[in-house]
Amino acid sequence: MDPQKSYLGRLLQEEITPVIMVFTTHLVEDACQKNGLNFIEMLLPFSLFNKINVPVRTASDQPYRLQMFKLRLAYASDIHLQNYEAAERHLKQVVHDASHKSLTNLSSDPPELEDLLKDSGSDLCPTWIQTFNKELIQTLCFSEHETFDHPVACLLVVSSKDERTINKFIDLLNTDQLPSLLNDGVMDPKILKHYLLLHDNQDGSPEKVTSILAEMRNTFGSNCKLLCINSAEHADGASKDISWMPYGSHTLPRDDIACFLSSDDINSVRDFMQDFSCNYIIPHMEQKIRILNQQVAATRKGFRNQIKNLWWRKGKEDAPETPNGPTYTFSSIESQIRILADYAFMLRDYELALSNYRLLSTDYKLDKAWKRYAGVQEMTGLCYFMLDQSRKDSDYCMENAFSTYLKIGSSSQRYATRCGLWWAEMSKAKSQFKDAANIYFRISNEEPSLHAAVLLEQAAYCYLLSNPPMLRKYGFHLVLAGNRYYMSDQRHHAIWAYRNALCVYRENGWSYISDHVHYNVGRWYSFVGILDVAVKHMLEVLECSHQSLATQSIFLNDFFHVLQSIGKKFEVYKLRLPVINMASLKVLFEDFRTYASASDVHVSESLWQSLEEELVPWASSGRSNWLDSQMKPSSLKRKDISVCVAGESVTVELEFKNPLQVSISVSEISLICELSAKSEGTETGKSASQIEPPEDSDHRNSPSYRYPHNDDSFTLTKVDVVLGGGETQRIQLEVSPKIEGLLKVIGVRWTLSDTVVGYQYFDFDAKNKQKKGRRSRHSSSSNLSFIVIKGLPKLNACIQHLPKKVFAGDLRLLLLQLGNQSKFSVKNIKMKISHPRFLIPGCMEDLNMDLPECLEKQKINGTRKAPADVTANSKSLLFSFPVDAIIQGETSFTWPLWFHAGLSGNISLYVSIYYEVASCSSDMTFRILRMHHDLEVMPSMDVSFNITPCTSSLQEFFVRMDILNKTKLDTFSLHQLSCVGNTWEISALPTSLSVFPVQTLLAGQALSCFFKLKDCRKSSTTEEKLTFRGGDLLMVSEDSKEAMIDISKSPMVEFHQQERYHQGKSAKGDPSIVEFILISKMQGSDPSILPGIRPKLLTNHACYSSVSSKCPISWQMSGPRKINHNFSKSFCEASFHLQVHNLSDTLLTIRLATTNCMLERKHSSEVAKLSDSSGNGGGWHDISLVNDIKAISNVHGNRPKKSSLETSSPFVWCALSSTKLNLEPFCTTEIPLKVCLFTPGTYDLSNYELHWVLKLPEEGITHDGKLCSSGSVGGHPFYLTVLQVRH
Amino acid sequence: MGREVAESCIDGVIIEMVSAYCNRFYGSKPELAARRIEAIGYQVGHQLIERYTMERPRFSDHLEAIKFICKDFWSELFKKHIDNLKTNHRGTFVLQDNKFRWLTRVSIDPSSENLEASQDSPVLTPEHKVEVTSMHLYFPCGIIRGALSNLGIPCAVSADISNLPACKLHLDFGDNKNFPPRMLPE
Amino acid sequence: MIVCVAVVGHQNNPLYLQSFTAADDALKLHHIIHCSLDVVDERVNNPKKSGPTLNETFLGMLYPTENYKVYGYLTNTKVKFLMVTTDLEVKDADVRSFFRKFHAAFVDAVSNPFHVPGKKITSKIFAERISGIVKSFGSVTAG
Repeated sequence: MDPQKSYLGRLLQEEITPVIMVFTTHLVEDACQKNGLNFIEMLLPFSLFNKINVPVRTASDQPYRLQMFKLRLAYASDIHLQNYEAAERHLKQVVHDASHKSLTNLSSDPPELEDLLKDSGSDLCPTWIQTFNKELIQTLCFSEHETFDHPVACLLVVSSKDERTINKFIDLLNTDQLPSLLNDGVMDPKILKHYLLLHDNQDGSPEKVTSILAEMRNTFGSNCKLLCINSAEHADGASKDISWMPYGSHTLPRDDIACFLSSDDINSVRDFMQDFSCNYIIPHMEQKIRILNQQVAATRKGFRNQIKNLWWRKGKEDAPETPNGPTYTFSSIESQIRILADYAFMLRDYELALSNYRLLSTDYKLDKAWKRYAGVQEMTGLCYFMLDQSRKDSDYCMENAFSTYLKIGSSSQRYATRCGLWWAEMSKAKSQFKDAANIYFRISNEEPSLHAAVLLEQAAYCYLLSNPPMLRKYGFHLVLAGNRYYMSDQRHHAIWAYRNALCVYRENGWSYISDHVHYNVGRWYSFVGILDVAVKHMLEVLECSHQSLATQSIFLNDFFHVLQSIGKKFEVYKLRLPVINMASLKVLFEDFRTYASASDVHVSESLWQSLEEELVPWASSGRSNWLDSQMKPSSLKRKDISVCVAGESVTVELEFKNPLQVSISVSEISLICELSAKSEGTETGKSASQIEPPEDSDHRNSPSYRYPHNDDSFTLTKVDVVLGGGETQRIQLEVSPKIEGLLKVIGVRWTLSDTVVGYQYFDFDAKNKQKKGRRSRHSSSSNLSFIVIKGLPKLNACIQHLPKKVFAGDLRLLLLQLGNQSKFSVKNIKMKISHPRFLIPGCMEDLNMDLPECLEKQKINGTRKAPADVTANSKSLLFSFPVDAIIQGETSFTWPLWFHAGLSGNISLYVSIYYEVASCSSDMTFRILRMHHDLEVMPSMDVSFNITPCTSSLQEFFVRMDILNKTKLDTFSLHQLSCVGNTWEISALPTSLSVFPVQTLLAGQALSCFFKLKDCRKSSTTEEKLTFRGGDLLMVSEDSKEAMIDISKSPMVEFHQQERYHQGKSAKGDPSIVEFILISKMQGSDPSILPGIRPKLLTNHACYSSVSSKCPISWQMSGPRKINHNFSKSFCEASFHLQVHNLSDTLLTIRLATTNCMLERKHSSEVAKLSDSSGNGGGWHDISLVNDIKAISNVHGNRPKKSSLETSSPFVWCALSSTKLNLEPFCTTEIPLKVCLFTPGTYDLSNYELHWVLKLPEEGITHDGKLCSSGSVGGHPFYLTVLQVRH
Repeated sequence: MGREVAESCIDGVIIEMVSAYCNRFYGSKPELAARRIEAIGYQVGHQLIERYTMERPRFSDHLEAIKFICKDFWSELFKKHIDNLKTNHRGTFVLQDNKFRWLTRVSIDPSSENLEASQDSPVLTPEHKVEVTSMHLYFPCGIIRGALSNLGIPCAVSADISNLPACKLHLDFGDNKNFPPRMLPE
Repeated sequence: MIVCVAVVGHQNNPLYLQSFTAADDALKLHHIIHCSLDVVDERVNNPKKSGPTLNETFLGMLYPTENYKVYGYLTNTKVKFLMVTTDLEVKDADVRSFFRKFHAAFVDAVSNPFHVPGKKITSKIFAERISGIVKSFGSVTAG
């Protein structure tokens, strides 16, 4: 592009122009002041000629035309170097004004990145910065080392009212008020003078004025002019379109400016200036250029002159070194050349200027006049630029000048700045924005902080303009600039810079920087009093969990400080503190389902519903159907509306998390609800689907604005918590509507440390997303709109003295207490219990009796019946209270419950109670009260029974009871062992009776006792009937007054049925099945167990200890035990019977196989065994029997192998060697057997085997896992002693 | 890298992964299983390319990157180069590997296939077999896609096993990507 | 000595930034790192100004701030490694080897299956390795 059109070009053409030194008298100023202007201000608008179009001819012969021309006017008093402080003050003022003029929209939103990139550079760099640059450059005017500021001519103005006008002109020119430049010979005192007589038309007619003018002409010659002003009586619009500019720091009045200047006044002024510049200034300069050029040509051009010049300079080598070189007077050739070059520059003859500048620079360099050298270099660079010559040269020159200025030191570093500004503009004009930015950055280092700030800001804009835009550097430099601004307290500028930088740091992840920026912007906004924006920025940094603890607390404190300075409570949408975990939203409400305690709510709904089948009328259908029966059809289609009851509270659970390390106090957390009364409730209910989710504009405005809090329709609970560092709390918020209608829970609001109110609305789509993820308690648990209906009174219930920890088998009486606060009476109560094994309802009589007496056998044994209306099924138990059980209003009602800890482990009991209300107009017909209890059942005693048929008689069995006390340090005392049903008679074995009566079981002790069990069905004889002692055996000594427990009573019977069920067998009347109940008491030794918990009575139910635990048959060999025989005659023959009894309930086929081989060793061992065992009476011992039973029990396979070690047995089985026969269930058969013996001795006739095969139907197998379908057992030992008799 | 692992282990792992996702986790919806397997491959490729491009200068354009995939990356994975690389100059590349290493052990003889299909397992029809095989290809496709996208070349990778054990991979960069001379930074 | 090292992801999001100075100039270092990303982009965009050879991962010195030198390294996957040092004379070879080690450590870190690509690197082992590399760099330049 044409450099003259560029900004820098225009700048130079306006700034580097001839200076006119102006002298005025007071009267002149007074005349002008009538218009609110001083003289120069009056001329200023006309000192700039855009189309002057005059021909100019400088050194070269061909003329060219000058289009744009400007004169700089300055009072003589101002023509001197400004001192540093004044300049500072001036520039600071400029910046300050700019902050008020241009930074008006501070409270607006900062610009976004993309529209920053969209708009071009011109409107990006604000204009005030250019004016600042201009002002900065102007503070350097009138230095002596460069001459383009030196006045070209001087204008002397005298008013026509001044008497002795001519002398006035003389006086104006006397030396003491001439600027120093002229006095100390830096510039030529012989300067072009122009004389102007100013006439104020308000002072009457200009007759005498013309005479004065004529006199002037005589005295000074032709260059005298007359200017008439103030010819207008009142303000006419003549000066509307003229832009008056202030001169220096003088400020123009806004109104009645130039009011007395009529249009022809203005025209005359314009004409004067035109004439002045065209006919005097420019010709003067042309002439001077030509003269000087000839001089320079004469002295310096040509080889000889250069040699001479060089020689001459060499001669000056030894001149004393002065800081800024030797002093040059105006007459010195260097000054002449400089003037020549500058004039040429001003007249746009850059070729000429350039050649002279270069000529001069060598001289100054040789003279080490560094300041002048730098100035010349500067101008050279500018010439190169204006001539649009090689960028390299211009850059080199500017670089050179810049560094030279810096080298000189502080005195001229401001010149370095000016040079830098020009240089940067040059780079910009060539769109080398990065270099420009670098230059700005370099000069910013040399300047005081305020200037540095402005320069850095420009650097930032340059980075933004560079291609591709370097956004991060843009941001960084803006931050630097803002920092500097803040240091030189220009807060508006600081804010401006920072907030413009913000958009850069939205980039992901650089939270450290963006926090800092946001925080400072917020602080500064609060300083300048734009508090809401301050808060907006502060909010950004609140959630700064990545920062250090100190920083966090600083952020928080300043945030609160700002809020306090606001005064009123500030309401913030989606306040970041504390973080609300919306996914944790959970709604707990009670429609027709009420809960005894909060813990019951968390039980999954499906569990309750499965429990409440056949308890509630709508058997398996959802709640919506129930609504159908209750609600008007309008509100039925939508299942997302749930129901709550007026006067009862809806609870919302939310997680509040404190991300910071500092603890924060959150107060009055409450829900935001709206309740529309019933009248329009249905309509809003219908349109609920449309109005939610609320649109965003709704979200913006605060809840207090949206919902004027009307506490007449509903009440809210307020919760206060203090969240420690990183703490998360689950908070329950309640709203309880008072009137019927449609209640909508819209959001939550809270107050952060009493200063700021945060509020957030539950947005619904997000919730629906997380709804499927969460295990939803209700079908609509996360639905937040409720139809408030008039409900039934709510019962409250508790189970009295239900322990948390019990021992297995603990049996106790509990009290169910139902309270009814309402004044209506509750009727038709039904109860459903989940685990009838543990909990069954008692009957009214149980109330006034206590354990264990109520269970003991009364002499009059009127066995109470269990409540008839209990229908217990496998899972649960439905109990409907008697019809007369009605809970009157404000009364409570108790009912006994029997508790029996069936098995150990953690168990949770669910009870749900159905009730209706007698006379209460309501939308409901019934309600359900749900309660659940978790309790831990600790293992107490492990009881196992082992029954084995007695080989001596088929009616008798041996029972071995193995008890193990599994508690840590509790002692039980066995009280009673009963076998259920009256078909069995249990009695202690005489030997094991010796263990009694001290039948206590210490902690961890194991014990096994033995009993005899008699099957009374077989006993046909009547006297045995009379002596039937029943299935109960009291295991304590008779002298103690312990009474027998009647196991045929309720609740023993029911519990036993449950146990029977749960121990996994059906209640088929299997006669070979015995069921034991071991009743024991606890000897309270453990102090840790509270007396309340200490069980009075424990019952262990061991059901279905089958007699034939292993093999389905029992048999018994009967026959002679001792035979006297004379073997000399013949061998001995003995016959036996084998009675086989089928214990199983299925058909059996039995095969008896006898084997004739026998173990030698076994034989002998048996003999030995007999011999020693014959010592004590009653030959056989249960031990051996037990052993034998063991042998039977694990008969499969590991019977001693007969195959091994064969010998011929001393006897043989004769008769059949194997019989096969079928055996009906539970019947007995006899198999005849016969052996032949050859030698006397004792024989063990056990070497036979019984093979049995069950003729099972398929399901027969299933009903007892242990019972296998076929097997074989060896015989019991049967000892036969044969003695030799000799005659 | 210095770290080596037996090839059979790799095969075993891949087979097990495929079967786990296809049969156990997403037995009902195979497309979901495919996406999951592809995602796993994506991450693997994403991390592998980090390692394999460690010692070399940046690619000047996409073609160079793809050549790297075909040569070095391929030989790192499959111990051989791609046999044939074709492109229509509209952003689609076809990489052909005549003996794709991870498919060499897939039974491919159609006759035996039909035979066993006839006798013991009637469900195992040929197309079902092809489907099972293609399941094994989602993993390498994911690897290639992950590698390329980590190189700043987002693309879609699809495999074609019309004649085993040869395997064609189609890389599609969408139409707008007509290979700028140098990669623009994100 | 090395003042600060950083890993910046391909979306110019900081993956890892560790300063090794006692003074709390974290903000400044963040700024420096953040700005040097501009230079990285510039280098990549017009390679004529870029490092010794075309497209080399090592980008050389990005820019000298008033008293720091910033060196850069750009991987094939557009991950940038940046190193800020106060040393006046730094041997180019040292920086190269430093970045090579740095890159190796990074590759091992992201190969961790539990590392989410594009998220900050939180692995302790990585941090230890980096600090070790940094220390060794100091020693190498010293010796």
